[in-house]
Amino acid sequence: MLIKLAWRNLWRNKLRTAIMLSAMAFGLIGVVTMIGFMNGMYGNMIDNAISWQTSHVQVHHQDFVDNPEITLTIVEPELITAELDKISEVIAWSERFIVDGMVASARSSRGVRVNGVDIDAEARVTPIASSVKEGSWLPAEGRHPVVVSLKTAQRLRLKLGSKVVITFSNAEKDVTGAAFRVSGFFSTPSSNFDDGNIYVRRTDLMAMAGIDGSHEIAVLLDDKNKMSNALAISVRDKIRLITSSENSVRDWQQIQPMLASIIAQMGPSNAILLGIFVLAMGFGVVNIMLMSVFERTREFGVLMAVGMQKHKVFALIIFETSLLGVTGATLGLMSSLGLIELLQITGIPLGNMAEGLGAFGVDTTLYPQVAASEYRYIFITVVLVCVLAALYPARQILKQRPVDAMAEKH
Amino acid sequence: MSIQTTQLRKTYNQDTDFPVHAVKQLDLSIEQGEFVAVMGPSGSGKTTLLNMIGGIDIPSAGTVIIDGIDICALKDKALIAFRRDNIGFIFQDYSLLPVLTALENVEFVMQLQGHSEKECRERAITLLDQVGLGEQLHKIPSKLSGGQQQRVAVARALAPSPRFVMADEPTANLDAKSTAELLDIMQQLNEKEGTTFIFSTHDPRVIKRARRVIVFEDGQLTEDRAQ
Repeated sequence: MLIKLAWRNLWRNKLRTAIMLSAMAFGLIGVVTMIGFMNGMYGNMIDNAISWQTSHVQVHHQDFVDNPEITLTIVEPELITAELDKISEVIAWSERFIVDGMVASARSSRGVRVNGVDIDAEARVTPIASSVKEGSWLPAEGRHPVVVSLKTAQRLRLKLGSKVVITFSNAEKDVTGAAFRVSGFFSTPSSNFDDGNIYVRRTDLMAMAGIDGSHEIAVLLDDKNKMSNALAISVRDKIRLITSSENSVRDWQQIQPMLASIIAQMGPSNAILLGIFVLAMGFGVVNIMLMSVFERTREFGVLMAVGMQKHKVFALIIFETSLLGVTGATLGLMSSLGLIELLQITGIPLGNMAEGLGAFGVDTTLYPQVAASEYRYIFITVVLVCVLAALYPARQILKQRPVDAMAEKH
Repeated sequence: MSIQTTQLRKTYNQDTDFPVHAVKQLDLSIEQGEFVAVMGPSGSGKTTLLNMIGGIDIPSAGTVIIDGIDICALKDKALIAFRRDNIGFIFQDYSLLPVLTALENVEFVMQLQGHSEKECRERAITLLDQVGLGEQLHKIPSKLSGGQQQRVAVARALAPSPRFVMADEPTANLDAKSTAELLDIMQQLNEKEGTTFIFSTHDPRVIKRARRVIVFEDGQLTEDRAQ
């Protein structure tokens, strides 16, 4: 009976309740969409960073990280690759021979990182092969093919088949160079990455450098949880056990600490967004409950007079506010869920923002993401705040004796 | 079974220079089964007296003893339970819960006593039938006339089987026909079930029906007569 009474009391003033529920629902839609947008953007940034730059785990010579000298190759890489082949969570790994050098066309030249890769292995670890927009990924045959970004192609005014010259300091500290022919143009979500990287075959680069080996082994794992590096840490530690102490094995959060910072601040920033909303909503609910409870002071006096214990009067008020919270949160979250589902299909085109965000590795279209746990958390927070908002009016009523409450005129 | 007040006093603004003595040193005894009208002009202290013997107001001094229990000494929780089980209230403005139907209003007070839903339903229907509202069970108060609402209030007051019913000017808002019908109902219940009715009123129609009339003036009992 108490819940029935509370529900009917809630709808005594239909307009007032409807306005409050609408405010809660629209506010929640705004907050959930904003959280979804932020999650989508950060998630996309992390996805892209792992896909294109860090993979899940990387191995280098320990000094190469700070000082990328051509001679600082990984010690005994074959031990590492053999171990990687035994780990079931490893999807693929790619050995890279990396040098910092110059790429020059007939028109211009630029400083770039030259990635010497095994063409099949690299295509399994990163989406590079599928992001070639014009031409093709590095062919196994043919003399000195190179794949450059569309951005680099624009700067150097290159066409497919154009000849470029790549130069760098070899193991003997002598400048070495060779002509390469452009086989394809790629484009990644990160304009910075595009600006600074070109791809050639590892064998071609090693031949130019005059040494064998690899500077980097990138490992891709079967890890669905992009917000955690737990699996990467486990694989990292397995590799550390079998490799030389001269090698450095790092997980993706160690390689790019900014990603760890992003993940760490996602929770608090979402909590702040939600906090601002529930604070504003809380004041609204306090207002509604104050009006709703105080205009029925006499009625509560009558209830106490006819034998309703104070804890039941308190429960009645709490049920009313809880039902308000549950209804508002359900309406708001169901609408938000629908909108998020829709936006996950259509995406949110970033328009003019895309270019700026591209520097941080964000795609041009964002797909908002809200986890089930976040919906649960928001629901509980909203209901809890509604209950808290009713404590003051409920306490004020309970302080009254029936005769005083019944003497109230409103 | 009786109500006994001893040196009962109620003073408002006690600690100020202008205290208001609503009830002064009242000694009164009301026996089980009486049909009593407390009459007097407005502000004479009738309602205050009913509130104190009904346990919803606290006296400034003196005692109210019902069936040997000093209700002024009861703690809040015990006093509410005492009221729930022993005293029914009928108010001038009916004071029904506007969101509940006539049936639910009557059931509600019984549910507070912990009766089963079936028991509550059966007794509520019987009581509403007795007060002539057997056809109006599922109407909310706003769909009932003033007289019908007050009859629901009577049924509600009687639902927990109280021994005493305090009725504060129950006919003040009713027309002559409704007043007569209501008084008939209450008189029948008083005679059949022995429920004690105590009215505060200055309605001569009520006074005429009462078997005992207590006259109150300026917080003091000035006349107590049987009729």
